[in-house]
Amino acid sequence: MSQVRIRVPEKAKAGEVITVRALVTHPMENMQTRDGKIVEKNYNFIYKVEASYNGKPVLEAETTQAVSQNPFFSFSVKVNEPGKVKVIFHDTEGKTYTGEADIKF
Amino acid sequence: MRQQQHIEPARRRVLKMFGAAGVAAGLVSLGVSPQTAEAASGLGMPKPDEKVEETIARLFGNRPLQAAGDRMKVELPLIAENGAVVPVRVESNLPMDAKSYFKNIYIITDKNRRPLNARFALTPDSGKLSLATNIRMAATSDVRVIAEMSDGSLYQYKQEVKVTVGGCGG
Repeated sequence: MSQVRIRVPEKAKAGEVITVRALVTHPMENMQTRDGKIVEKNYNFIYKVEASYNGKPVLEAETTQAVSQNPFFSFSVKVNEPGKVKVIFHDTEGKTYTGEADIKF
Repeated sequence: MRQQQHIEPARRRVLKMFGAAGVAAGLVSLGVSPQTAEAASGLGMPKPDEKVEETIARLFGNRPLQAAGDRMKVELPLIAENGAVVPVRVESNLPMDAKSYFKNIYIITDKNRRPLNARFALTPDSGKLSLATNIRMAATSDVRVIAEMSDGSLYQYKQEVKVTVGGCGG
């Protein structure tokens, strides 16, 4: 089953830039081609990643099949107040995987 | 692992509309108007093969690419034993504020079928540029990391990564 794991620092200070590491278990199945033509095959990969802090967007990524299986992303967030980091992964089958982590001061 | 879904990906619906004989025709139509097809589905979908020059022209038009220099630091392996997992890290110490910040980071592998690996859109709330992910590479190739600043200027970092075993399965 797919799941999201998020790692953040245990404690942060106001105004600090923290690094968030997010990993989702996902097969990222890619599509096969032969002679430049697409051979019909099941594909299923994550095409969009959205990250927000307290509802404010910090990162939006457009990803393709050329991102590894079980995609891992790390990014930075500037934190001014305690809150919640939320990362949403969207895949091409219309499913979303959400992960959250609390930032404490 | 794979679950049966009630929602069909849009591309399959489109292909069904065209019928089995119309698969090629469907692809041609995607090639003609990828934007409308993408907008109609709302889902990411595999797109036709593309050369790196076409990708760069599609993304940036004729805007000049400047060398990144010490504006950003990119960590890429010289030799990747497994093309399926190639770690990339992009960092910069430049301050990010509302006036000047890294708007988009593009990771492009020249010799992949679709050279664009990923695009990251940042906001001033990111604080600083620090991104990492793993990409797939089909073969030994140049990898470019292109940063688009908020004022529209473009900076490119390019490095060759040798791949022992390709990772795109095609």
